[in-house]
Amino acid sequence: MQISQRTVARGNVLLCVLCTILVVSLIGGNVLLNCVTRYNVASSQVRSWKESLDAAETGGDIAYAEVRKTILDPTHAFSSWTYSGGAYTNSPVTYGTDNLSTSSRVDPFYYDGNGNAWYRIRTKGTAPVLGLKRVGMDDRMGPNTRGDSLLRKIDFNYDHFVATYGPNGDGIGETLLPVSNPQISRRVELIAAPITPFEAAIKAGGTFYGLGSAAYIDSFRSTTGPYDASVKTNPSDPRYADSQAGTVELDSSVATIMGYIYGNVYTNGGTVTKNTTSISGIIDNNVPFTISPFIMPSTASWNYVSSPATVTPNTTITPAAPGSAAQPNYYLVTSFVNNGSLTVNPATTANGVPLETYVAIHVTTDIGSSTGQGPSFTIPAHVHLEVYFDGNFQTKAENIVNTSGYAGNLQFYGITPTDPTVQQTVNLNSGGGSTAGFAAVFYTPGANFTINGGPDLTGAIVCKNFYANGNVHWHYDRALDSEGDAVDYRVISYVEDIR
Amino acid sequence: MKLKTSQSIAGFTLSEMLVSLSLSSIVLAAAITSGVALQKSFAATDNYFSTEMQQIRIIDYLNRDVKRGLIVTTSVDLQSVTMRVPKYIIQAGDPEAIADPEAIGMPRTPTVAYTPSGWQVNYSPDTSTTTVVYSISGNSILRTENGVVTTIASSTDQLVPQTTDVDLANTECANTSVTFSPIFTSGGAVAERTGTSLYATAYLRNKRRG
Repeated sequence: MQISQRTVARGNVLLCVLCTILVVSLIGGNVLLNCVTRYNVASSQVRSWKESLDAAETGGDIAYAEVRKTILDPTHAFSSWTYSGGAYTNSPVTYGTDNLSTSSRVDPFYYDGNGNAWYRIRTKGTAPVLGLKRVGMDDRMGPNTRGDSLLRKIDFNYDHFVATYGPNGDGIGETLLPVSNPQISRRVELIAAPITPFEAAIKAGGTFYGLGSAAYIDSFRSTTGPYDASVKTNPSDPRYADSQAGTVELDSSVATIMGYIYGNVYTNGGTVTKNTTSISGIIDNNVPFTISPFIMPSTASWNYVSSPATVTPNTTITPAAPGSAAQPNYYLVTSFVNNGSLTVNPATTANGVPLETYVAIHVTTDIGSSTGQGPSFTIPAHVHLEVYFDGNFQTKAENIVNTSGYAGNLQFYGITPTDPTVQQTVNLNSGGGSTAGFAAVFYTPGANFTINGGPDLTGAIVCKNFYANGNVHWHYDRALDSEGDAVDYRVISYVEDIR
Repeated sequence: MKLKTSQSIAGFTLSEMLVSLSLSSIVLAAAITSGVALQKSFAATDNYFSTEMQQIRIIDYLNRDVKRGLIVTTSVDLQSVTMRVPKYIIQAGDPEAIADPEAIGMPRTPTVAYTPSGWQVNYSPDTSTTTVVYSISGNSILRTENGVVTTIASSTDQLVPQTTDVDLANTECANTSVTFSPIFTSGGAVAERTGTSLYATAYLRNKRRG
């Protein structure tokens, strides 16, 4: 028998292939990991970080809209929000294809001297972070640096903010709150401040004609001293800057400007005509704005006094208590005779010392008419009177007597008619060529405002259409820009909570 | 019985060896060259993306502070930015923190003041603000707030942020560009730097002070 034995020496091809695949896979895996990390950062984390701010600011807009309703539509303000602990909160709102969500908390944190509420809006926006959470963040920058960790603060497993500072960020109620998916939340705090009505000498939503050719509008600041007519033409006077704010703002292209304006003129698409060289400030014909209709403020918290309900030729009001700007003594007047004379005296201490006294009167009829001497208003110092009227207003300029000389102490508000076919009017005449004027402010956004004659006025006016044909001397008090009832809100502070 | 052992041990002829060695050397050289090139390319690309991420981070840091800022000032060489931001969070050493150490890290309730330029909201009893400075130190971009320095970006690619602040009627905006020189390029040509430019513009949300 013959036995054949063959020995074949071969390399293991399979092992070589597997090793090669392993090496290539390691390289590929490393490349893929780097690519996914970069992709996660660039496409997902950065995007989510920016989108979460978008969501937070959207929440701010939603809350701001509710704050505005407290003035423009009080019955529907915060109607679907929850009120607890002095703050309004809403349920999270989800929107957009990226499922962004936002929620807000609003609380009135301050009341100014006019009794207007200032609102703090704290809002949170959350954006989901797509991609594998195991990939983590891009922190590869250096041995002692942390890259994105300090900036983007992604919640991979738990909400870091609630765990550290509590849900409201005030250190109360910290808890470990798991998140279903990785997310980024950003928080901003906004302050909504009331817009008071008298930020310009004259503000008209419609047409403007006036003043007389020898008239002028200038300004001063009563908190730095009394009005001085020489300041407006004396640039070396330290009060000069305050004398150049007699600004006229018109939301119309129809404007015929006469006289001298020591301030700016703004129109909405207009071409300011006639003597425009006598305007000391800038002329901007592209400044549109909106004047909201004025509605009667809520009187629920005011101190209602039932008498008097009628103003006769000799009516005097002396409140028993001084009240406050937020809670004035409130009178409802249903009859104001044509020659009615209303005097409001301050409340006093037991020793007869006058107190700063706040009075609000709602007149549901016309005040004055085109016949007779017209009604009169007299307030001594220490009285802060607000007159709200539903109808028309007509009197002589000299019939308005404000002894303090500060226009903010005598405020007239024309409640805008709900019927658009009804045109409210305010007429102020100067009888017999009198230059006697007054210190007062008028906020009548629905009224056609007319001034005849050449009275010397200190104050501000907001109206629909404005007409004046006399040589009025008009002094706008810059201190008025913080006076009066809120007519709207604006956001004046923004800060991001970067914790 | 006769055993027949057949051992097929085949060798190479010298010519076969020379040919195979030549071919394998060429293949190996090509493989090594390709591998090194791939590795360098990967490292360069990885570094480029890494630096690009830091560009984005610089912009995001800066814009976040500009948005909540009260005023922004840039240096003459445009490479240093100083801004004032509200003192929103109570820090150690603040009066509130001394009165109540638990208050550290918590937000303040703002106060309201009327000034000649209008109403002002302050997050500090003395109306002071926090100063944040962005600057370059060597290869690093630093952010300094209340004396605390944070390195927000660091790269051998010579990251250079440049910011200009533009005053507007009531507000302000900051235009920022960040460039770098990728390490895999040579010569430091201007075009290589400008090709990496990243631009951003951010507006103050607050009314400018000053």
